[in-house]
Amino acid sequence: MLSEIGFVDVRIGPPVDTFKGADGEQKARLFQVYGYPFLARKPALNKEN
Amino acid sequence: MAVESEPPVPVDVNALREDVKSKYREVAIDPHGKYHFHTGRYLAKHLGYDDEFVASLPDVAVESFAGVANPFSLQTLAKGEHVVDVGSGGGFDSFVAVHQVGASGKIVGVDMTEEMLAKSRSTASALGLSNVEFREGLAEHLPVEDEWADVVISNGVINLCADKRAVFSEIWRVLRPGGRLQFADIANGKPVPEAALKNIDLWTA
Repeated sequence: MLSEIGFVDVRIGPPVDTFKGADGEQKARLFQVYGYPFLARKPALNKEN
Repeated sequence: MAVESEPPVPVDVNALREDVKSKYREVAIDPHGKYHFHTGRYLAKHLGYDDEFVASLPDVAVESFAGVANPFSLQTLAKGEHVVDVGSGGGFDSFVAVHQVGASGKIVGVDMTEEMLAKSRSTASALGLSNVEFREGLAEHLPVEDEWADVVISNGVINLCADKRAVFSEIWRVLRPGGRLQFADIANGKPVPEAALKNIDLWTA
């Protein structure tokens, strides 16, 4: 979806076991839910960036 | 992954929004209550935030933090940058951003929950921060002018929005050309059944 909107250089960082030890851990395991950091850039108007 | 193209989610948008507000109202008022997610200093450490900086913050600035990963882990902010924090909650990520951009930078946090806004504004005032402002608004309609932001951050918020395309399009609007989006969110490796997607109670459970 990010690319469809126009974002470029999309990066996804390593997963984090966000719910480990929390009450929601069992449900998170069921659907393999993890947290991720994302990075994306809106293109510049010229080639400076 | 969450960034792939997805059809609109079949839920009542307003009902979902009210449910999310209700949940995070609780987190603002009772940060040490029983939730399905971690909160506060334990969570910040678990997600890899800078220990020394987090330790320097008063409890009120950290206790209602309920993020899902670290939006600063792939890239930190630069001095002087203008930053929008979408779904700023109790303000924790905005305070991290203030620390990174320095006195010449500017942060605008946006949240829809009155109790979170009251908390983040009160904490910013107590910390004497003049370059962070918290505004009431929705992720789909950010109260920020076009191309104001060098960076948009967000943490654990977009997954709670039914219309993710609208959110990303709005983020695009407020970003300057060449600006960047650095956010943290959850993604599921296994598909969630449609019946579960339609059940609003499960979105925040």
